[in-house]
Amino acid sequence: MTDVTTATPVLEASDLVLEYRDAARTVRAVDGVSLTVGAGEFVGLVGPSGSGKSSLLFLLAGLRRPQEGRVAVLGEPLPAEPDRGAAIRRRRIGFLFQEPFLVPYLSVRENALVHAVDGEALARVEALAGEIGMAHLLDERPHRLSGGERQRAGILRALANAPELLLADEPTAALDGETGRAVMAVLRRRPAGAALIVVTHDPSMLEGADRVLALRDGRLRPLDRSGHGLDHP
Amino acid sequence: MAAPDPLSPALFLRRNPRRVLPVFGIQLLVTTLMVAIVTSINAFEATSDAYLKPLEQFTIVAPRHRVSLEGELEAVLDENPAMAERVRAKTLWMRTPMLIGEGRAPLLALAPEAQPDFMGRLRVRLVDGVLPEPGTDGAAVHEAVLRARGMGLGDTFGQNVNADDVVLDKFTVVGVLGGASRIGLVDLAYTSRPDSVLARLPPFEVVYAEEGRKAESDAWLKDAETTDGEAAFRVFDEAFLRERTERSMENLPLLLGFITISIACVVAFVTALLNVIGFQGRVDEFGIYLAVGHRRGPLVNKLALEAGLVAFAGWIVGVGLGLLVLLAFKAIWLEPKGILLWVVDARPIGYSFSVPVLSALVSALALARRLGRMDPVAIIQRRGLG
Repeated sequence: MTDVTTATPVLEASDLVLEYRDAARTVRAVDGVSLTVGAGEFVGLVGPSGSGKSSLLFLLAGLRRPQEGRVAVLGEPLPAEPDRGAAIRRRRIGFLFQEPFLVPYLSVRENALVHAVDGEALARVEALAGEIGMAHLLDERPHRLSGGERQRAGILRALANAPELLLADEPTAALDGETGRAVMAVLRRRPAGAALIVVTHDPSMLEGADRVLALRDGRLRPLDRSGHGLDHP
Repeated sequence: MAAPDPLSPALFLRRNPRRVLPVFGIQLLVTTLMVAIVTSINAFEATSDAYLKPLEQFTIVAPRHRVSLEGELEAVLDENPAMAERVRAKTLWMRTPMLIGEGRAPLLALAPEAQPDFMGRLRVRLVDGVLPEPGTDGAAVHEAVLRARGMGLGDTFGQNVNADDVVLDKFTVVGVLGGASRIGLVDLAYTSRPDSVLARLPPFEVVYAEEGRKAESDAWLKDAETTDGEAAFRVFDEAFLRERTERSMENLPLLLGFITISIACVVAFVTALLNVIGFQGRVDEFGIYLAVGHRRGPLVNKLALEAGLVAFAGWIVGVGLGLLVLLAFKAIWLEPKGILLWVVDARPIGYSFSVPVLSALVSALALARRLGRMDPVAIIQRRGLG
C-alpha cells in the first residue's frame, strides 16, 4: 500500500478496493489504494492496459462505488451512490476523457458549459479559450474540429467551473505525439491551485509531473524518473 | 452576453428537427384524424339542433284522447298567463337525409293568415316561389331541406310519389324558404279535407308565449298537462324534444371515449418506442452529462419536456389541420346535402388531447427507465482504453 501525504489535500482516498465479478472469477481492479493529492499538485498514474488505472480514476471521481475504502474531495466525502455524488463532482471535479464526448449539436462554447454551475463559467471559458487558441472556434460544432481541437474543447469543459481537481483519463491516447504534447501543455497551464491527476500508458506525456505513480495489478507504487517501478511502460 | 443553456429542451428541438419529425408527424396525423372523424359525428347533433330550433319560438300542444282541441281543452289552454296567442295547426314530417341515417324536418300545416306571423317569429323568409295557396297541395320548404333531398320548385314528395316518404298523400314544392329555422309550410285546409288521408292526422295547437315568457309558458303547460279526461293533452316543447334527441346519443361519449383512449394508448406506445430509439442515438450525450455531474432527475425532466413539447406541438398543428379538413369537408360535401356541422367543437379537441398527454407520459417513463439503467462509465470505457 502506498500513501503519499501533502500539506493541503484536495483529494484523500484511503484503502480503496474495487472488484469486478463474473460467473467464472473475481478480478480485483483496485487493491487497497490510498492516495492524497495536494492543491496545485500534478500526479501522473501510469501502467499497462488492464492495470486498473481508469478504474482508479472512476473511483476518485465518484463514478464507481468502491467495495471498500472512501474518497473525499476537499474534505467532503463522495457518497457511495454515484448519483448522490453528482453535485460534488460537478462543482469540484473536472474530468477529461480519452475521447472528449462532445455533444454534436452544441457549439464548443455550449459544450464547455454543459455542467456550468455559476454565471462566471461563460467568462471563464471564453478567457481560457483565448489562452489555448480556441477563441475563434467557440461557435463551431464538434464535427468541424480536428482531434487536438476536440480534446482542447474537452479541456474547456473540464475547467469551466474552475475545479479544484482535474482528472484526465488517457487524454492523449487518441492523438498523435505532437498534438498529445500540445494538449498536455494546456493541462499543465491549468488554473493555479487546481490539482491534476493524469492517467496514461505513456510516461513521456507526464513531463513536469510532481509525482508519477505506477499501477500494477491494482496496486499503487511510486515511479522514479527512469521508469523503475513499472514493468511494462 | 448571457450564458446559453446547453441543456435547454428548446435548443435540442431547434437544432435537431429531423430527429423529432417522426414523433411530430405521428402526433399530427393522429390528432388530425381524431379531430376530423370525431367532430364529423356532431353533424347528427348539429342538424337535429337546427330542426329543433323552431321550438325556441313556439310550443305544440296535442290532445291525448280526442281528435279535436275545441271546447274544454281550449279553455284550459286559454288560462295560460304567459300565452300570447295560439294557432290551429297540424304537424307533418319531411324525410331528410343526415350524415348517418335520416332525420325529419317539421312541415307545419297552417291557415294562410297565420303563415306570415309564424314566419316572422321564426325569422324565416320566402326566398323563391310562393306560399301555399289555400286548398292546394303546395308546400313552401326550407332551402336546406330541399338541398338535402335534391329537390327544387315544382318537385313533388309524399308517400303517393315516393314510398320512402313519411308524409302521407302528395305535395308539390311551390316556395323556397330561407332563414334560421329549417321548417316547411303547407295549407291547413288542404290537410283537413274530410276525404283526405291527411284528415287522420290530429290537430295541434301552436302556442306562442309572451315576449320573454317562453319558459314560464312551457312550465305552466307542463303543470297543466293531464292524462285523463276530456281535456287530456300532451305538450311537445323544446326541452322535451331536445331531451329525446340527446337520449338517442347518450352512449356516444362512452363509445368515443373508448375509441379515443384505445387510439391514444397505441400512439403512446409507438411514440415511446420512437423516443427510445431516438435516445439510443444520444447515449454518449447523456453518458457525458452523468459523468460530469448531472443528476438523473433533471435529465429525465429534460427528456420528458422534449418528448412533451414535440407531442404538444404535433397536437396543436394536428388540431389546426383537422379544423381545415373539416372546413373543406363541410363546404365540399356536407353543405350541398344540407347537413350541418359544428367545425369548432371542444369535445373532439378535448378527446384528442389524450394523445399527446399519454404519449408524453409513457415516453417519459420509458426514457426514465432507460436513463436510470445507464452506466456512464461503461459508455466512456466503450471508446477508451480502459
